[in-house]
Amino acid sequence: MRGLTPGLLAETATRDTFAGLETWQIALWYGLIVASVAIFVYGVLRLFLKYRRGRGHEKLGNARERAERVVRVVFTHAWIRRRDSMAGLGHLLVFYGFMVLFAGTVILAFQDDFANPVLSFEFWHGWFYKLYSLFLDVFGAALVVGLTFFAVKRGILRPFRLRYWRPAEPAEPLRDQPRRYELGDWVFLGSLFFLALTGFLLESFRIAADNPSFEVWSPVGYAIGQGFRGLGFEDGAAADARAVNWWVHGVFALFWVSSIPFTKAVHMLAGPAGVAAKDDRAGNRLAPLPAGAKAADVGYAFIDSLLPKHLLDLDACTKCGKCHAACPATATGYPLSPRDLVLDLREVAEGSMGNRAALGIEPTFPEHAQLIGTIKPETLWSCMQCMACVEICPVGIEHVPIINQMRRALVEKGEMDGQLQQTLETIYTSGNSFGETSRKRGRWTRDLDFDVKDIRKGPAEVLWFVGDYASFDPRNQKVSRSLAQILRRAGVDFGILYDGERTAGNDVRRVGEEGLYADLAEENVATISGCSFDRILTSDPHSFNTLKNEYPQFGGEWDVVHHSQLLLELIESGRLRVKKGLGYRVTYHDPCTLGRYNGVYDPPRQVLEALGAELVEMPRNRDNSLCCGAGGGRIWMKELKGEDSPRPSELRIDEAVGLGDIDYFVVACPKDVTMYEDAIKTSGHQGEIELRELSELVYESLALA
Amino acid sequence: MSVLIVAEHRRGKVRPITLEMVSAAKELGDETAVAVIAKDPAAIADQVDVEGVNEILYVKVDAEGFENDVYREALEQVISDRSPHVVLVGFSIDSMGFAPALAAKLGLGFASDVFALRRDGDDLVAERSFYGSKVNAELDFPNTERVLLMIRPTAWPPAEGDGAAVSAEVDVTISASRARHVDFQEVAASEDVDITGADFLLSVGRGVGEKENVGQFEELADKMGATLSVSRPLVDQGWMPSSRQVGQSGKTVKPKVYLALGISGAVQHLAGMKTSGTIIAINTDPEAAIFNVAHYGAVADLFEVAEELEKLY
Amino acid sequence: MKVLVAVKQVAILGDEVEFTEDDRDVDPDYLDYALNEWDSYATEEALRLVEAAGSGEVVVISVGDEDAEDSMRRCLAMGADRGIRVESVRTLDPIQVARALAEVVRSESPDLVFAGVQSSDSVQAATGGALAGLLDMPLVAVVTKIELGDGKATVNRELEGGLVDVVEVDTPAVITIQTGINEPRYATLRAIKQAEDKEIDVRQPGDLGPQAQRVRRMFVPPKGEGAEMLDGGAAEVAQRIKELVEEKMA
Repeated sequence: MRGLTPGLLAETATRDTFAGLETWQIALWYGLIVASVAIFVYGVLRLFLKYRRGRGHEKLGNARERAERVVRVVFTHAWIRRRDSMAGLGHLLVFYGFMVLFAGTVILAFQDDFANPVLSFEFWHGWFYKLYSLFLDVFGAALVVGLTFFAVKRGILRPFRLRYWRPAEPAEPLRDQPRRYELGDWVFLGSLFFLALTGFLLESFRIAADNPSFEVWSPVGYAIGQGFRGLGFEDGAAADARAVNWWVHGVFALFWVSSIPFTKAVHMLAGPAGVAAKDDRAGNRLAPLPAGAKAADVGYAFIDSLLPKHLLDLDACTKCGKCHAACPATATGYPLSPRDLVLDLREVAEGSMGNRAALGIEPTFPEHAQLIGTIKPETLWSCMQCMACVEICPVGIEHVPIINQMRRALVEKGEMDGQLQQTLETIYTSGNSFGETSRKRGRWTRDLDFDVKDIRKGPAEVLWFVGDYASFDPRNQKVSRSLAQILRRAGVDFGILYDGERTAGNDVRRVGEEGLYADLAEENVATISGCSFDRILTSDPHSFNTLKNEYPQFGGEWDVVHHSQLLLELIESGRLRVKKGLGYRVTYHDPCTLGRYNGVYDPPRQVLEALGAELVEMPRNRDNSLCCGAGGGRIWMKELKGEDSPRPSELRIDEAVGLGDIDYFVVACPKDVTMYEDAIKTSGHQGEIELRELSELVYESLALA
Repeated sequence: MSVLIVAEHRRGKVRPITLEMVSAAKELGDETAVAVIAKDPAAIADQVDVEGVNEILYVKVDAEGFENDVYREALEQVISDRSPHVVLVGFSIDSMGFAPALAAKLGLGFASDVFALRRDGDDLVAERSFYGSKVNAELDFPNTERVLLMIRPTAWPPAEGDGAAVSAEVDVTISASRARHVDFQEVAASEDVDITGADFLLSVGRGVGEKENVGQFEELADKMGATLSVSRPLVDQGWMPSSRQVGQSGKTVKPKVYLALGISGAVQHLAGMKTSGTIIAINTDPEAAIFNVAHYGAVADLFEVAEELEKLY
Repeated sequence: MKVLVAVKQVAILGDEVEFTEDDRDVDPDYLDYALNEWDSYATEEALRLVEAAGSGEVVVISVGDEDAEDSMRRCLAMGADRGIRVESVRTLDPIQVARALAEVVRSESPDLVFAGVQSSDSVQAATGGALAGLLDMPLVAVVTKIELGDGKATVNRELEGGLVDVVEVDTPAVITIQTGINEPRYATLRAIKQAEDKEIDVRQPGDLGPQAQRVRRMFVPPKGEGAEMLDGGAAEVAQRIKELVEEKMA
């Protein structure tokens, strides 16, 4: 490399954009630009029109917060980097590479088409030019490096999430999709490579031809250019090559831009839009039915029943597969992959209302296309509504609410398995999923040596909403008794609703029986409103979620705590004296509805710490916790997992045992208690690990204090 | 109190309920007649000539087998002819086709699924259960002169011994049979097992949970040397053929050992198995009715017990 | 085609019970209520027949107080067109119920009348039959399959032990429906609530005639000595079962 001599700086660093082009060619070039932009705008408009065909609208409040979020998430790649730093880095390189190159073009266009002719202001020379060149070269190289990362990931590393293997056969019209996606992704990657390559070549040919000294400021192009010169490829030959390459690169670039709304590149627009429009409460607060809804209005029965935001979600998907990798159903052979569901829905949307429909490219679907059939009911029923997909999606897709809405349509048609139908009818008749009479709700208190207050009859500090499993299931009744005794020891003034309690309804709603849910919620709100208390305690995360986030929709807004939070509070305030005496080696399973849904990760851990237990984290913990398989009403449905697969709960116990020498598998949810007690036996690990609910450990430590 | 029993028979054979009703009649009256309504009553009459029967009425009709209208019309005339105080029919599917209609038309006293009877002076007191068999009630019939009772199968032992009944013919005219027997169909495929012949039955009920779990119990039954049978809900769901069903509308079984897993003991099921030699019942509900008829029981989870049994065999 | 379906709101007793003062019935506080299981099969069957015929109506009829309309609404939500309720107190014997229903049937002149084989609370298995007797209509009881013809129907009567009796019955007729004949469709609560718009005509009963049965007293049956309960966990129980089987099969 030559050094920077004063002589060097004397040469004017700039270049002629349209060197060697005749006027008509420049005119053609601008004509192509206009055409390309026009097609791009047309494509984007068509997208808007497609989304507008959706039904309803979400009120997007907090514009300022959303704007901040988008800027932050997009520019730091916060969501893309999660759980895969290599992909995150790769995409950062591609993104910034692309952005800088794009900005470079804009700057140049600004100068050539506005600043210079209109304002007679020319800045694209000298130091500006040199720094500009440097930047673009470095970021162009970064782009290439990033693309290489992706090629290596896809071609060599082949992680699970990028494989288009599907757990279940897609419907007939979509049978070819996996193949097309693979091909399409490589073509896309290839097209970006091609752009970068031709861009560098363009530079290199020019440098090979003209060899201006200041072009050391374009290190990559300079190096390649010198290489060409070294091979004897210079002057006229290089100039000719440059001329050809100029058009190749230019036209391809314009073509690429115009194709953005029609290809995978659309995620550049739809992704950030999805991030901006994402419902923060997606999944943990579902939308009620509009009043007077008719059968056809219920849920997503047709493609144009989707909210515009959800139609946007379908386009935002880049097939990154993070949801596919996170999903407990996919991992255990259920006929569901959240990625494939989104992609299948996209095909229907495109084929019915989108560009493909307009152009008549198969597969097409009728305008008011029915979703069931193309999407199989068992796919939707496989979902555990655990939110692992929504949690990890880099572009803010809301799989869980979409599935929920589709379930509503299934339920409306009565399209569900017999067991689920039976359970819903049981809940309707007896107000709980066990089919027991309401009188039996308080029976678990009989074995206590004190009376538990009936909060309907007198005030108390805490209204303990016990929940079905904790009231009726024998193993969970033990936990309830432990908690009751803890509360008494801590001097907490609490009461329960006895036979006034109904199923909180969280899972009824997640199953899609919105009418029954509303009925249960209204009843509970009325009963609770008649009581006098400061706050609501629940030992069931499912009840916790709906009481806290969704009951306000029915006029019930109270301060709701989960027992892990209350236990921590009592310990920290000294009301509950525990000794750091439990020297157990434990691991903790984050319940979906407590953790991912509501962000309560620390209180249970802090409680365990206060008890003196040694916590060994599960390999997949906190927001990456693996669902036990009971969520979304699945505990009421028949098994749909793959024949040779273990159940999600068995998989989880295997994980726990794999940590080595664990005394207790600690849970904080009654359904987890049920699922994991069973899984410990059926996974063949009985004797190797035992289950304890958090309250049971606290209770044990009380005996020591 | 004079009692008229309507013999229940099918394809030439008298069904056990008929003889059980003779035992029931002994509690009430001195005069017991059995009406045999058939195309050829003589061919069946021998089977009902047991101790306790005073008279056998031959009621000849044209119909080959059971037909509602035939029985109803015939009985109307027999009742009018013989004026019994009490008419007994079995609480069975055939009887459901004519007995309530007869009682309504003639304004008789009526009760069904009766499992105990007694006389209280001139009154007839019948016992049956209510509210899903959770409570019992004693009924009487103050408003009517004649009473028709549908008797629960297996509530009484069948009467035995040789009788010395007189026979009499009763002529009846049937105006119309509007529900006519066409054919019998054996729903059970011949390849399937006849559970009534088995010595050891392993029976599962709703506790089994899902269709997929049934296979596990089929295997266990095999290992233990038992035949698998089921209660009605599993047949209703289509998980097992009705040939495997034990119960009032299924088969009545009397094996040496009846092992009931996850069966609560609905009355209709008990009717089909409670005379088994040894009944062992496993259920998570300590209040399950099956424990009332079982000889041995345990409050346990059927899957846990099944798993342990698998290890032992 | 018009099909009438007689439905009942049955009472469900938990495992705790108190009786009324006169000991003739259970204290209503201890009861929950629901649509009789057999009647949802009957309603479903009626809906299927009318849907297959292309036109017609399904009318649900019931005898009971205002609360009984809850069960009728379930049927209306499933798709029945309208309902007729005969106002009455719950404790009626099946013959009296049949007399109340008979008036309604006479006024409607249906092609078919369905009833469940029995109700899950009283298990009398009599109302349908009694209704046929009062109306002098043809009857088939305990039916698991129906095929309509011209002026008649071919039905399967389910006998004990898995045997089926194929019967040809003249129509109009009364048919009592057995469980398992079909899969009753689910009625969402939304549909149940909107069924409030469907008409339920309330009528007063005429002469119900004499009671066919009278309750002298109602009581909790004494538990027999019951089973010898086995101790221990699943393993001990299984061991004991094996021993018993060996002993008894010898």
